[in-house]
Parts: sequence; structure tokens; C-alpha cells
Amino acid sequence: MLQNIFFGLSLGAVYSLVAVGFALVFNILKFSNFSHGGVMSFTAYAGYLAYIWIFDGRISGSVMFLAVVLTAAVAGAITAVGIERVGFRRLRRNQAPVIYYFISSITLGILLENIITIFASSNFYSYPVFFSSKNIEILGMSFSVADFVTLLFSAAALAILLFVLYRTKLGLAVRTVSFDVNTASLMGIDADRVVMATFAMSGALGGISGVFLGMNYSLYPQLGQLVVKGFIASVIGGLGNITGAVIGALLLGIVEVALIGMVGSGWMPACVFVIMLVFLLVRPRGIAGVIVQEKA
Amino acid sequence: MDYIYSILTLTGITMIGVMGTYMVTGLTGQFSFGQAAFMAVGGYVSAMLTLKFGLPFPLVALVGSAAAMLTGLLVGMPTVRLRRDYISLVTFGFGEAIISVLNNSAQLTGGAEGLVGIPKRVDLPLVIVSVVCCLFLVACYKNSKYGRQCLALRTDELAARSMGIDVNRMKLVTFLFASAITGYAGVLYAFYSQYLEPGYYNWTVSAEWLIIVFVGGINSLTGAMVSAVILTSLPELLRFASAWRILIYCIIVLLIINFRPNGIFGDWEISRLWKKRKPVQGGLP
Amino acid sequence: MQNRGFKVKSLLLMLFAWSGLAMAGEIVLGNLQDLSGPTSVLGNAVTRGAELAVEKVNAGGGFKGDKIKLVTVDTKGNVQEAIKAFNRLIDHEMAVAVLGPPVSNIGLAIAPIANEKKIPVVGSFIDPRVTVQENGNPQPSMFLIQPTSTQYAEIIASYANEKLGFKKFAVLYDQSNAFAVSMLKPFKAYIEKRGGSVVAEETYTKSDKDYRAQLNKIKSAGADVLYIPNYTQDLVITVKQAKQIGLNLPMVSGLDAAPPFATLVGDPEAAHNIYFANNFSDKEPQLTEVRNAYKAKFNEDPINKAYLGYDKVTVILKAIELGGGASGPQIIAGLSKVKNVQGTTGVLTLSEKTHQPLGLSMVMYKIENGKYLEIGRYVPESHK
Repeated sequence: MLQNIFFGLSLGAVYSLVAVGFALVFNILKFSNFSHGGVMSFTAYAGYLAYIWIFDGRISGSVMFLAVVLTAAVAGAITAVGIERVGFRRLRRNQAPVIYYFISSITLGILLENIITIFASSNFYSYPVFFSSKNIEILGMSFSVADFVTLLFSAAALAILLFVLYRTKLGLAVRTVSFDVNTASLMGIDADRVVMATFAMSGALGGISGVFLGMNYSLYPQLGQLVVKGFIASVIGGLGNITGAVIGALLLGIVEVALIGMVGSGWMPACVFVIMLVFLLVRPRGIAGVIVQEKA
Repeated sequence: MDYIYSILTLTGITMIGVMGTYMVTGLTGQFSFGQAAFMAVGGYVSAMLTLKFGLPFPLVALVGSAAAMLTGLLVGMPTVRLRRDYISLVTFGFGEAIISVLNNSAQLTGGAEGLVGIPKRVDLPLVIVSVVCCLFLVACYKNSKYGRQCLALRTDELAARSMGIDVNRMKLVTFLFASAITGYAGVLYAFYSQYLEPGYYNWTVSAEWLIIVFVGGINSLTGAMVSAVILTSLPELLRFASAWRILIYCIIVLLIINFRPNGIFGDWEISRLWKKRKPVQGGLP
Repeated sequence: MQNRGFKVKSLLLMLFAWSGLAMAGEIVLGNLQDLSGPTSVLGNAVTRGAELAVEKVNAGGGFKGDKIKLVTVDTKGNVQEAIKAFNRLIDHEMAVAVLGPPVSNIGLAIAPIANEKKIPVVGSFIDPRVTVQENGNPQPSMFLIQPTSTQYAEIIASYANEKLGFKKFAVLYDQSNAFAVSMLKPFKAYIEKRGGSVVAEETYTKSDKDYRAQLNKIKSAGADVLYIPNYTQDLVITVKQAKQIGLNLPMVSGLDAAPPFATLVGDPEAAHNIYFANNFSDKEPQLTEVRNAYKAKFNEDPINKAYLGYDKVTVILKAIELGGGASGPQIIAGLSKVKNVQGTTGVLTLSEKTHQPLGLSMVMYKIENGKYLEIGRYVPESHK
């Protein structure tokens, strides 16, 4: 039982990184950014390329791991900013309805996925083993080092993010813009730069989650489709709310693992659906309980 | 010629599916991420009735669409009360749930290995007639009192409510109509392809239909139909580019969304050619 | 009316301006593969293998003086696309025979069309329903050149049961994957017939990537061995996570555990104590030529689907010879007569009754500490 809760938590930790990257963009532009999935696959591959081209043979172990994560995060930030330029900047100028962002993001996600398929399809890839693959035995249950690192890293990344959002000037600007873009611009905030910064942060998180996903699940172009888990988690958490997204993700991880234990994985999606529906009817605001103003 | 026929037939079936998406998204402004699941319901119910009980095609087509509508009622009842963002999630979850049910009831549905031996009952003429009929129904609906109420509530739900429109009821009615039509598309697909598998109906199909509606123009039924024709036959034309064609397809969609944000057709409808009267405008703010 | 311009353009776009012409002295073979979808790894390998075979024939002056032209179309791994693409191959490219995909769903979907058009499809779709109808008659145009899932699963089950002496089986499989499902049913049937039992049956679906909860249930079920008939990538995750939770069961699998599986796992302790059956052995001499050509051309090691692609061309050409001409019905007639043709993956004899290969053995392997150990060819008693 305890072991299952731990599995749920470590699964939830990965989901939470995805969900937060997802929620950040929702927070500011009020749409569900499905291109985040593309960013995750893309950066997972970028990290891998950095590993085989640059780092391999020079460093190893946890230094290598940090280097790969860092590369992926940077690559993610760049990709996300690029996506914003190509996919959303013009839409914002045109004051296009939210629904267009949504379509644009789905298309960009498919696009990135296919670029990867074209250039890297003929093989699956997998990351090297960064950590000692020994298990840690506690109370007769075994846990892997990778799990602890995932948990630790997710927590650290989220803490840094929350610090940036709530303790820095940039964070204040982001929160202001998320409240109302027009007023923020009138107050002298450069909305374009704030949006770019937000995408960069979300992309960096996407990069980190990409490496974790790649590490745990091997590299393949559709890796980023796990973004739907982030989507579910961030809705449960209250759309656009960062803390809510984290709680939602952890809950989703635990519920999924518990359901597999109880009803089997086959019926799990059906059960998740019913639970989600009931939850939304009972508490439509999500866990965080703040209603996000709909942008028409 | 069979090649062209097969493209046209499948394009026709997609057009009917897109009509469902157009109604849900274009008329009431909800995202349905699980629209393809209604296609699965229609297809599987009708195919299984034929295989188990040997019922005739017209009857099962009717039952298939009705079953899709019934499922639409089950999903729609709770969802219309929810915020728009949630509807996309709930319909998405519903789509996944349907696939998992189909995979799990392998004795009935064949599971992941799929359902074989469905007789071929659908050909190009039937699809064309179906497209015309469905199109007529949807166009009438759009121009009816209900359609106008839908456009009103899509533009501003609060204002529509204060004008006395029963918003939830309108959303539900449209959702049911759309499910029935999508279910019918599923029936046609089942009896054309003679093979069904659960994996076909995942959310990417629903997303593709949404993209089609947007490329055509969210306010224009004509646009949705024309873009359905173009976007489903375009990949065929680009087939020479093999792996690159999906890429090209995406780029075209991006260009349209960026440089012609109201879709190719804006709110233009083909009926304007012979109608002088200005049709209802339903621009998003 | 500024929109009208757009409309005219779009209508023009719709006009189909191509027409495929089969030139005299040319045999067109269609190749229906997933090049850009989720199974594109397999589709690309088949295509490359087939290209090598075609190049070899053409370099030697063609097939009885006729050049072979291989036309590849993409299915995107999607049934609807496959139907369109298949019709295109027949109608537009004038293919006389088609190399099918290694994916059963698409095989099932194109079977009715192939039968109607009398165009043979030679594939490696292992679901027996692709080649044999429910009434027991063969699908007239569909041919298989590797063991069916029934034969295949029985070979593995028999080896695990009779040779390795396992009695209590646990199963973990992808419920949304037709291949995995079709490998499960005959396995279970065989094991239960032989007095063994399946003590745990756990599933997952395509979108799940964490199997630890399932593996944990298996751990407490008291099984001797774990059967995992899934795709390579899932196997990689399975063995890694099995190690994480401390599950030390031996495992048996299908050919998806073949190289580069162990390299992908990257952890010799996790890729350990796994048995699987492959179509061929790397040591067998008939492979060398193809492998070297493949390495020279594509700069990587071929996976087993590449050899199957090569063999599909070989078998079709043999059938043209046996059937007396390069037209659909003649090739179909020829395919039923294919006997003792040396392919890269074995000696092929197609049954007239089932359109499936007869008595194909498979090569058993064991993975120990990330290293592949070849055990040798194996055919269960009941298949002989």
C-alpha cells in the first residue's frame, strides 16, 4: 500500500512538472497549450543529442545528468520562445479568440512531433544510466534512486519557479499580465517580453520534464503526448493555478496507481473519467478554488 | 477510379464528422475533444447489431445514430453546466473512456484486434446523399431559432441568459444533434471500411476535425465543409512528399491561422449567392 | 466577394493531376508501410529491406529482363489512410502485388479490397484472421511469410513450458495493441492445455508508461515466469521498472526483445534472464549478404523487419515465376505454390489452405546480463 502511494507520488511528480509548464502558459494567455508536448519531446531529444555529441566520454554520473538537464532546459526555453513567435505572437496582435491559440498550439505540437519523426524515427533511443541503478530498501520495499531524484528535482524546480513568480519583479509582471494584458501594458509593462519570459520558463520546465520522461520511458517522438496528463492535472487543480496544478498532478498519479491496483489498468481511463466528471460537478473551480476569468 | 472513389467516400464521411464538430464548436463555442468517440459508438453499435442479429443496414444505421445520441445525452447532461475549458477535458476523458471500454469488452467488440467481417453496405452515392441530407439539416438548424440562440450564447453567455435563452438546454440540444450526426458518420465508416478498431477513434481525430473547422472559418458552415474537402484530400495530393507531408499540412494550417484568422471563409456562406438577405452574424469578440 | 478567389484556388487544388503509368518492361510492386506514424520504425525497416532486394535484382539486369519498380506509400499507421493508400497503389500506380505492413490492423482493413481487386498482399501481419476467414477459407489475396500469432505464441509457450519447465505464468500486455493481444490468447490456451496456469494477468494501454503498480501485483502472485508479448519500447520500460521494484522473475517475450533491445535498456542487470524467439539467427549465412549491403547503404544494423521486407520481394518474384506472369491473379496462383524458397528468415513454404507458412521454426535466444546468447532453432512437437 505504502509502496503504491510512493509510486503514485513519483508518477505524480513527473506529471506535476508537465502540469506546471502547462499551467504557466494558461495562467497568462488563458488557453490550453498543447504545443508543450512537442516541446517536451523536442528537448528530450536535444538533451540526448547533447549527451552523444558533447558530453559523452567527458563527464559521467550525476554531473552528466545535470549537464543534460541544463541543456534540455535551455533548449526548451529557446523552443518555447520560438513557438510563441511563430504560433502566438501574431494571434495576440490580432486579438484572436482563445480558440485560435488552442488550434495553433495543437498544430505546433504535431509539427514538432513530425520533425522528430523525420529526423530520428528509425530507432528508439534511451538515455544512459545516470545514477547507480541500485535500489534502496526501506521497510522491505524497494525504491530506485531515479525516483528520489525525480521527486527532488520536481520539488526544486517548482520552488524556484514559485520564488520567481512571487518574489521577483519579473514574477510580479507575469502575474499582472495574467490578470489583464491591456491594463498591464498601460501601466508600462512590456507585455511581449513578459509573455516571452513566461514561455521561456514553461519551456525550461518542459525541458526538464522531457529529460525525466526520456529517462524513465525511453525516447520516442510521441513522448510529448503525455502532456494530456498535465492537462488533466491542471484542470483538476484549477486552471492556471500553479500550486493547484501540482496538487492535481500528485492526486492524479496516486489515483491512477490506486485504480490500477483496484480495477486494473484496462478500466482505469473509464474510472478516471467518472471521477473527473464528479469532481468537476462538485467543485467546478478546481482544487485551488480560484475562478480564472475567461477571456471570452 | 476506385482510388478517387475511396478518397471521395472517406472525405464525405469526414465531412459529416466535421459537421458534428462544427455544431458543437461553431454554434455553441464548446470544444469537443471526444467527438470521434461518438463515431465509435455509432460504428460499433451498428456493426455489432448486424454481426450478431443480422439486422438490415437502414435499421442499424438509425439505431447506431440513436445510440450515439443517447451517449451524447449521458455526457452532455453534466457537461453543459461546466465551464468551457472543462468541457474539452470531459469530452476528452469520455473519448479515452470509450476506447478503454471497447478494448476491455473483447468478447463483444474484438478488443484491440478489431471487429472484422462487417458487410459492405456503403458506397460513394450513399455517402454523397448522406452528406447532402446532413448538410441540409445542419444548415436549417443553423438558420433556425435554435441556431440563432446558439450563436447568441456562444458570443456572450451571460447576455443570452438575460435575454431569456435557456443556455444549458440549447447547448444540450445542439450537443445531442451533433452526436447523432457524428454517430451516423461512424455508421457509414464502419460499413465502408468493413473493419473497426478502437485505436482509430482517439483524440487526435477529434483534434483534426477542430482544426478543419477553424481553417474553414468558425462562423461558416460552407467554410468548414470546403476545408474538410481540402484538408482531407490535400495530404493525398502531397503524397509525393511522403514523410514531409504532415509537416507541410501543419505549416499550411499555421499560415492560415496567422494570416487569415477568421479562416478561409470568414462568415461567408454559399447560400449568400442566392439569398439577398443578410444571414446571422456570429462573430467572436 | 474577395473570398471567391480563394475558393477557385482551392477547387483547382483539388483536381488530381497525376496519372500513374506503368512502363512496358517494368513490374510495379507496391509497398504499403507506416513511414511517419507510431510504427514507422518497423515500416521504414521493411521499406529499406525491400529496396535492397529490388536494387539487387535490377542491378543484375532485372527480373527476366523486366525492371522492378518499388512504390512506397505511407499509411501513417492509420487504417483510414491505409485504405486510401492501398487503393492508390492498385489504381494509380498499377501495382501488381503489394508488400504489406507488419501491422495486423491494417492487414485486416485492406483484406476485403485486396480480395475484390485480386491483388496479392504479402505481409508479416501475424493475426491469423488476416489470412484465414472466419469460415476457415483463406483470404484469397492475403499471404503471410512469418509465423502467425498462434504459431508464434505456441512456440514461445511450448519452449517456456516444455524446455524451461515453467508452470505458473504471469502476463503483462498492452491491451490496446492488437499484436500483444493476439500473442496472448493462443499462449494462454496452450499453457492451460498443458496443465500450466496463468496466475496473474495484468494490462496497460498505449498511453500508460508506468507499470510498477501492475508489476507489483505480479510480484505477489507467485508466478515462475513473466510473459511480455509487447513492443520493444514497452519492454525496455518493463524490465527497468521490474528491476526498480525488485521483481526478479525470468521473462519470455517475442522478437521485440531482439537487438537493439538490450542496448536500449543500457543496464545489464535489468536486461537479464529474458528468453525470446526471433525469426532468424544472426549467425546464419544467408543473412550476411543482406546485412552487409544494409550496413553499407544505411549505416546502421538492420532490425528483423528489414529481412522480412527483403523476403517479401523474394517471395513475390518467385510467385511471378511460378504463376507464369506478372498480373494480380497470376501472382496469387503463384504464391500458393511457393515451396522451399530460401529467404533470409528461413525456408518458406506457403500453405495453400491457410496462405500461411508451414512449419517455420524460430530461433530461441536468452539475454543474460545484457548479452544475447543463441540457443538454437526450435519447433514444438505439435507443429511438426
